[in-house]
Amino acid sequence: MKSRITELLGIEYPVFQGGMAWVAEHHLAAAVSEAGGLGIIGAASAPAQVVREEIRKARELTDKPVGVNIMLMNPNAPEVARMVIEEGVKVVTTGAGNPVKFMKEFKEAGVKVIPVVASVAMARMMERGGADAVIAEGMESGGHIGSITTMALLPQVVDAVKIPVIAAGGIGDGRGLAAAFMLGAEAVQMGTRFVVAQESIVHTNYKEKVLKAKDIDSEITGTSTGHPIRQIRNQMSREYLRLEKEGAGLEELEKLTLGSLRRAVMDGDVVSGTLMAGQIAGLVKKKQSCREMIEEIMDEAQGVLKKECERWAR
Amino acid sequence: MFEKVAELLKEQLDLETVEIRPDSSFKEDLGVDSLDLFELVMALEDEFGVEIPPEDLETMNTVGDVAEYLKNKGVEE
Repeated sequence: MKSRITELLGIEYPVFQGGMAWVAEHHLAAAVSEAGGLGIIGAASAPAQVVREEIRKARELTDKPVGVNIMLMNPNAPEVARMVIEEGVKVVTTGAGNPVKFMKEFKEAGVKVIPVVASVAMARMMERGGADAVIAEGMESGGHIGSITTMALLPQVVDAVKIPVIAAGGIGDGRGLAAAFMLGAEAVQMGTRFVVAQESIVHTNYKEKVLKAKDIDSEITGTSTGHPIRQIRNQMSREYLRLEKEGAGLEELEKLTLGSLRRAVMDGDVVSGTLMAGQIAGLVKKKQSCREMIEEIMDEAQGVLKKECERWAR
Repeated sequence: MFEKVAELLKEQLDLETVEIRPDSSFKEDLGVDSLDLFELVMALEDEFGVEIPPEDLETMNTVGDVAEYLKNKGVEE
């Protein structure tokens, strides 16, 4: 059960937990790492000091590697990057931007850098800039998304770069993991499934929405702003889409989204909050511990790979 | 140089019917997003045989900026 990714990071299983804003805090990240995957703390727009505390708290819960996701669009990204190096974090994933300007410092500090990419050209550029691996994320994902599906993006990225590729978007069980391996991925990243983990601090109301979601309950808002977001539909998303259709400006739209993820995650406001989740939410039916999830996924992947190999590759 | 860049841009990003001027802004005037810019850089590199480090992307807001950048890199017309 080894790949270049498990070797590179010193983790047991090729499973990352996505660096979701508000959701990916120290309890969840530590639980995933402790179970043998790679837990990731989502820095999102939090001040560097808050993220520093999160890293330290995670370390009280596990000795295994824990990563940090840095949102590069945020003005505080340089500060977070410096802090991550000071804290001796060994793996960083990056979203929403170009990490190359931090690459030299990360490399010198021995930090592995794994950018999230949404296109082949971006993957190639990250490889050339010194990235250790890339996460090819399809538009099935929750939260901020690109426009290509995992099924189409993943093999094209795998062909385009020599560094290892991690698949993300639409993966929620062992079958998804097995499929990603077949397309050339060396690990997967999951978000939505971990939202409902027992260790996740996400409000029960939000978890229930994910557990009850059907395949078609997913909606994309914000296309008109250039920053599309996938979420589970609710009053908030309907209102947002209505305003978008009417051609509302950014200012009016931002009134709806200001603090809306925090309201959903922390306060359980599932009416006016943003319920970010991927299309795979319809498949997520069980609250389990992170360990149960990862072990179940690995067992399932091995089972399905074996069975299908016997059927198709005799 | 500008004409060459504009031509490449039209071809790469299906902007055949759009008027491109040296002061055309990628974001505001041409609706080019960050992923499109990555595509453009790759195409420029192939066309002109230069390497464009990703951090240099951030200095390029208009089509004229790209032409200027290539000139400064010593790319021949």
